[in-house]
Amino acid sequence: MDTDTSVADGQAGLSGKAAALAAEVAELKSLAEAFERWHQDMIGLTGCNRSLHGKGEDLMAVARGLIMVSLNAAIEAARAGEAARGFVVVAAEVRSLAVQAQKLAAELRDGLHKSNLLTAATFQDIQAGGKMMMAAVSGLGASVSRLTR
Amino acid sequence: MLSDRTVRNLSDAFLRAAHATLVRQAGDQCAIAPASAAWAESKCGGGILLMTISSFTFRLITMFQVADGEPTRHYYTAGAAGKTLDETFSEFANMCCGALGRELYAQFPHIGMSIPYLLEWQCARHLRDLNPRMLSSYDITIQGTARVKATLAVCCERPLEFDPPVREAAQAGGELELL
Repeated sequence: MDTDTSVADGQAGLSGKAAALAAEVAELKSLAEAFERWHQDMIGLTGCNRSLHGKGEDLMAVARGLIMVSLNAAIEAARAGEAARGFVVVAAEVRSLAVQAQKLAAELRDGLHKSNLLTAATFQDIQAGGKMMMAAVSGLGASVSRLTR
Repeated sequence: MLSDRTVRNLSDAFLRAAHATLVRQAGDQCAIAPASAAWAESKCGGGILLMTISSFTFRLITMFQVADGEPTRHYYTAGAAGKTLDETFSEFANMCCGALGRELYAQFPHIGMSIPYLLEWQCARHLRDLNPRMLSSYDITIQGTARVKATLAVCCERPLEFDPPVREAAQAGGELELL
């Protein structure tokens, strides 16, 4: 009789633990929501990068325009002769700054491309890893349900 | 980090997947030639399609770029009204990675796959910034006219061995078509 009672107690204890485990597994399935949130974050980040790309292109256009203006200014200054000698120096400085801005804009564009790839690759890793974990959790859930049967 | 055998097995698995899934109909001719990374990074289409297969200790990144010419457009978008070439092709890329994933699954039961994501073609040159242990690019020509650039990058921080079970079809049919 004592043995029967202890076996029944043991089974009840195991059933309770299996039920608790099943509840944990069910809770873990909420991970999917976190993965979806991270995916939305990635879309937001790459959208932000796209906007920066647009601004970088604008900056590039401004730099190109400045180079043209400085070239025309240098031509005009040369035409004006001795009186505009100082202006020639200013035009050359403006051109030099514009060339630097153009180089920076090109570097910004390249950096944004790198950022886009790293962002997408990282979030894809999270997304794929998330699916892998969800499959593992489902497998665990199936094992737990076999225990509780 | 990756043995020659693993590199060969991963390449073969990727090529089998490409062969089987990047064609619209079984029997369409599909020629695959190895290509340089520099060639793969150059522009040939609208954007690059990125997909990732991840496991605990490694990830495989695949990158596809479809040529922007009419033959490729016609091959992939015929019968897919209202969809862009990149949209249509993303379904093929998805199937290709799915087939590669199934090959990996035989040895690595814990893997997951991302959904495709389209990036600007200039992003391709930064793939090597992810420090891949393997980087292989291929020039794929289908039915003699449609062109696709495909790249497989493998990133891992621990030694990875991939020895898929020997396939009956491969034994019967011999080597993959590599032109």
